[in-house]
Amino acid sequence: MLTSFFISLAVCALSALLLLHPRVPLSFVRIHVGIIALPVLVALLALVTTDANIIFGPWCLDPLAWLMAFLVLTIGLVVQRYSVRYLLGDRSYRKYFALLTLTTGVASVAWLSDDLRWLLVCWGATLLGLTLLIGLNREWQVARTAAALSGRLFALSWLILLLGIVWLTQVTGHWQLSHVLAKDGLAQLGSWERTGVNLLLVLAVVIPAAQWPFQRWLLESVVAPTPVSAVMHAGLVNAGGIMLTRFAPLFNGDLAQIFLLMLASISVLLGTGIILVQVDYKRQLVASTIAQMGFMLIQCALGAYVAAIIHLVLHGLFKAALFLQAGSAVRRYEATSRTSQRSSFLWKIAGTALGFLVGIGFWLTAPGDGYQLISSLILGWSLSFVWTQLIAFGHGRIGRMAGFSLLGGAVIVFSIIYDALTGVLYETVRQGGQPPMPAAILVLFILLSGSALGAWLARNRSSAAFAVIYLWLVRLGDPHPVSIESHPNYLAQYLARGGN
Amino acid sequence: MNVTSTLPKRTKENLTPDSPDLDINDLVKSASRAIAPLWPIATFAARNPWMGLERQSFEQVARWLKDTRDVEIYPSFSMIHAAQNRGEIDEAFLKMALQRWLDSQSLDLPREVAERFCRAALKRDDLPSNLLATPGLKCLVEKLSDLEPLDTEKHSLKPLSLCLEKQGGERVAHTLDHHLIKWCKLFLDESQAAWSLPNREEGFYRAWHRLVLYDPALSHEQRQRLKDWPQEANTALKEALFALEIPHSEIQDYLEAHLISLPGWAGMMLWRSQQSTQENSLLTEYLAVRISLEWALLKPYLPLPKQKNEDKVPLVPLIAAWAHWGDLPIQAWSQLSSTEQKARLILAYRFDEMTTRRLWLEAWEQTHADQLSEMIRSKPPVSGEVKPALAQFVFCIDVRSEPFRRQLEKAGPFETYGMAGFFGLPIETSELGSEHTHSSLPVILKPQHRVKESSSAFELKQYEQRRQAAHSLNYTFKTMKQNLLTSLLLPEVSGPWQSLQMLARSFVPRSAGRAFRQLREAWLRKPSTELSLDHMHTSETELPVGFSEEEKVHYVRQALRMMGLTNHFAPLVVICGHGSYSTNNPYASALDCGACGGASGGFNARVLAALANLPKVREALATEGISIPEDTVFVAAEHVTTLDELHWLYVPRLSEPAQEVFDRIQAALPKVSHDANEERLSQLPNFESCPKNPKAEAHRFAEDWSEVRPEWGLANNAEFIIGRRELTKECNLGGRAFLHNYDWQEDQDGTLLANIIAGPATVAQWINLQYYASTVAPHYYGSGNKATQTVTAGLGVMQGNASDLLAGLPWQSVMQSDQEVYHAPLRLLVVIEAPREYVERLVDHDPAFRQKVQNGWIRLANIDPEGYWESWS
Repeated sequence: MLTSFFISLAVCALSALLLLHPRVPLSFVRIHVGIIALPVLVALLALVTTDANIIFGPWCLDPLAWLMAFLVLTIGLVVQRYSVRYLLGDRSYRKYFALLTLTTGVASVAWLSDDLRWLLVCWGATLLGLTLLIGLNREWQVARTAAALSGRLFALSWLILLLGIVWLTQVTGHWQLSHVLAKDGLAQLGSWERTGVNLLLVLAVVIPAAQWPFQRWLLESVVAPTPVSAVMHAGLVNAGGIMLTRFAPLFNGDLAQIFLLMLASISVLLGTGIILVQVDYKRQLVASTIAQMGFMLIQCALGAYVAAIIHLVLHGLFKAALFLQAGSAVRRYEATSRTSQRSSFLWKIAGTALGFLVGIGFWLTAPGDGYQLISSLILGWSLSFVWTQLIAFGHGRIGRMAGFSLLGGAVIVFSIIYDALTGVLYETVRQGGQPPMPAAILVLFILLSGSALGAWLARNRSSAAFAVIYLWLVRLGDPHPVSIESHPNYLAQYLARGGN
Repeated sequence: MNVTSTLPKRTKENLTPDSPDLDINDLVKSASRAIAPLWPIATFAARNPWMGLERQSFEQVARWLKDTRDVEIYPSFSMIHAAQNRGEIDEAFLKMALQRWLDSQSLDLPREVAERFCRAALKRDDLPSNLLATPGLKCLVEKLSDLEPLDTEKHSLKPLSLCLEKQGGERVAHTLDHHLIKWCKLFLDESQAAWSLPNREEGFYRAWHRLVLYDPALSHEQRQRLKDWPQEANTALKEALFALEIPHSEIQDYLEAHLISLPGWAGMMLWRSQQSTQENSLLTEYLAVRISLEWALLKPYLPLPKQKNEDKVPLVPLIAAWAHWGDLPIQAWSQLSSTEQKARLILAYRFDEMTTRRLWLEAWEQTHADQLSEMIRSKPPVSGEVKPALAQFVFCIDVRSEPFRRQLEKAGPFETYGMAGFFGLPIETSELGSEHTHSSLPVILKPQHRVKESSSAFELKQYEQRRQAAHSLNYTFKTMKQNLLTSLLLPEVSGPWQSLQMLARSFVPRSAGRAFRQLREAWLRKPSTELSLDHMHTSETELPVGFSEEEKVHYVRQALRMMGLTNHFAPLVVICGHGSYSTNNPYASALDCGACGGASGGFNARVLAALANLPKVREALATEGISIPEDTVFVAAEHVTTLDELHWLYVPRLSEPAQEVFDRIQAALPKVSHDANEERLSQLPNFESCPKNPKAEAHRFAEDWSEVRPEWGLANNAEFIIGRRELTKECNLGGRAFLHNYDWQEDQDGTLLANIIAGPATVAQWINLQYYASTVAPHYYGSGNKATQTVTAGLGVMQGNASDLLAGLPWQSVMQSDQEVYHAPLRLLVVIEAPREYVERLVDHDPAFRQKVQNGWIRLANIDPEGYWESWS
């Protein structure tokens, strides 16, 4: 399986390089898209057939690895298929395909590596590829600026990772992650060394996940063409979740978890806050990514790795789809504002009660689990929220029926997918290593008080506090003045220079 | 020729320098000519970016824009060379243009010398850089500087922040733009951000004034400066201008220079200010915010050092030009007399790059006119006997109708007519169950009637519930996204659906797109509807619903006369509106009918067909000599331009002959679509030049979510032909012509012609200039690359991280690729088929049109009854 996977990747790389050659006709791109579907199929096959953790040389071929490879390559395939038409006529048309193929290819290999040196090399190459993709339009000063900023932060993140890994391997004497994390490997780490390595690891993952205070690169790379943004948000920012899952035995029960929890919680609040005030469609999507990645890291910090992986997979697909549809953000006529806000009180009460009961019920299935507390809150809250939107405010019988079936459908589909993914991952991903309950309660407190603050502010819009917070959120979500240009002047240069 | 780059002003200085009651609102109003109102992208209707500047000549505006914003609005040399290589520019016309230019100059130089220089300079190859660095040059410049100065050009006024930036200081102008973009998008937001800008109900200036003191993007000192700033926009604007020491006589120039810094956002403010009386001073408020902020940012640098030498013409390039194109080595200057030295400098100065570009453009345009007249004159004479038509089709003047009409005429004894696609109906439309109304007429007109779709109460209620349910799904998604806790669950809930959709749209775009659309339609099941044609009493403030009996007759008569169909009615008359289908395209409405305010013209077609079928209307028309046979039935259809298909919208009970014709049309349509698609698709960039199955490929273009050019829209439009269809029948006009039917013999007093020029021709001119501007200045008047756009505030698009609100067509809509232009930037050529006197009368009676022709905003020609072509511009 591994051999056929690598062969298919090699064929892709070859095809990508071939495409770079100006003598190859442009229509070859359609064959290329067919070729890059091969590794996707291989990864899918491997995912379905593998059920044990196989360490094979420097590779770790467990379902998690195959799932990640499959996700990254699928996104790559979809995005390249999209670019066939979307970027047609672009100066760097061929380069986009070559870079996208190589970047997603090495990213998929990164998550198959058990040897940390491979991980470092592949991950570094992925970051490099992405930086090049952001700055591919070299004529455009804004794109260059964004690429430079991202490149600097990526380099920092990679160097921190390098430092952490070198430290780890120096102490344990192994480059193989499976050996490092074995009982006797970990035992060689002193407690401060462990915390040190973990802190480095946390720093290395929060940068690509665009967590506070490193969110700027993601906000400013909105200049990249839509397909590049889709790959970035679907396949790169979520690397932190996979990495922490891989290093779970090292990470669990460490002080660094609390550090991560703080950064991630702040990012959730920040991202959501930016969504509230931001009016650019793509920038809203970026803010949402920041919040979602914060949530994923909270899940990791609370030891809920399976939930984190499911979240990152679904978020990846979800965000890629939203980016690719960004052209639909213009609504023809913003449909009439919802006139019938007079919904029956009873329906609302029913929604609140339902949400409350489901939340409590869910929590009681595993009351000792810290993450269960958070997820019950979110689940109950969302249920009552959706109930209110779809059913209580539903318009007439048809509206309510439709609301019921949508809600029911969503719940059923979600549970099927959840079960399927849990089934796949359960063996591989080590749950557990509970952080102390107060940590979970702290997160709960942050989320609830964030919500409460938001609600309070929304009611006191004329207050100075609202003005200050509003403008800070605008400031944090807006690009830095050096990354904007009032008009895309490079197009005038294109015209002046003309063909060839 | 007047080489000046300031715009002469219309009204100037009735105020004294220290006039206490300086009316700032009037000045803002006069200054607003520099920009054009910009409407939201959802109703993208063509907009001429220079609509307020037609009193100036095209060249004056070009020089002003070049000087103030460094924006070129003549085609670049690379475009010109490409056109020349394609045989679109005839050198003979270039020579003629040069002669005309030389004639207009008075030079103290022998004509041959001047001509030789200009001919060489027309090539405009780059000056060799070693020439500019020749040692003797500096010496010579110093010597020549002692001559009395050239008739210097008065430089136009720039915002002080820009002056500072140009002098190499802080990037204040850049920062100022950054602030303005932020405030504008927050204030204008229509996408319903959960937290809107606080206090925005109180107006732009007030909201800004309250908030700016808390803005963390400004430094503490900058905020302090604005602490005691006036409460009112007018006062603030005056105070800021005073603090910046702008002389009264220059205020209007200064405001104009600020307005064209971000013409898109300013244009949106202007549009909003025209929409309601409450906001009518919005543009003043915008300028107040802008200039107050400019002052706050500039304060530490004030007063700016006066720039030296700005008014002095740099001589180096002029001397180099003579050395390169005029064979006059640098050493040779000393042998010339000082008069001749000066004359040569003046010539090189006047015959600058812009002048050459202008001459090339004129030659290009003349070649186009010449080729068109040749085609019309040399076409085979229409065969003697004309078979009576079985059906008459009325299309919009849109350039996309022409190829379809040509194919339709080939397919059988069908006649086609052209008129503006709103069919003369000044209506506002309201679709079933929707509160929203759309002004379905050219943006230069105001609606006078409202026409609603209606249906039985029971069906309507059911439909509304289904619609609401579909809508509440989107709404729930949006509100979940904005809620802290629910947003975290959103990927889990909607991720599976989104992924499914994404995969389907990626790998089977055509079927997926169709399936999603059909699913939506199947759910909504829109009931069949009636139109509210009869007059209904409404409150005074609203538009009347429907038409009175006289109005019905009036509009039908007017439409029939405009299209020139007043006798010989065929059994079936098909009124065709047009619309487009595209997916994931923020510019979808740019592909719709421009005469219907950027929406499909189908609704108007239905209204007209329904009115023309009313027995009462027909009776009244018969008394006026327009007798429509009883068997004749009017039906309505929509020409889908992306697919080149005709979709029936309204087919009442048909008479027997009409039914027969209808069946015949149905049988002919597949072939018509096939041929029209084949012709059209060969123009669109694709991997294979002629797709095997044009129909399937056209549907793919319409349904594919990754398609950036679903169709070419009106790209390559170049001429507006007003005349009988016989004039151009069987000519392949290549989808470049607007065609309006007109028979001068039916128009003794010239009113029809005057109406065509005032209405449809103006719409076509706006469309033409929008395409022109988006091609020659894609960064400033276009809207840049689609791949890097972001939709903002639900109103329009910005490039990259943030930019001006971009107003024109995207790069992909006018370019074949990054290297190759598709739209040929030519100013619209209006061709009128009528005797010379008709055109003379028209030009005399319509000063606005005369001005457009004289100042080079439109070109005019006529073909007289003998077939003689005369150019008027």
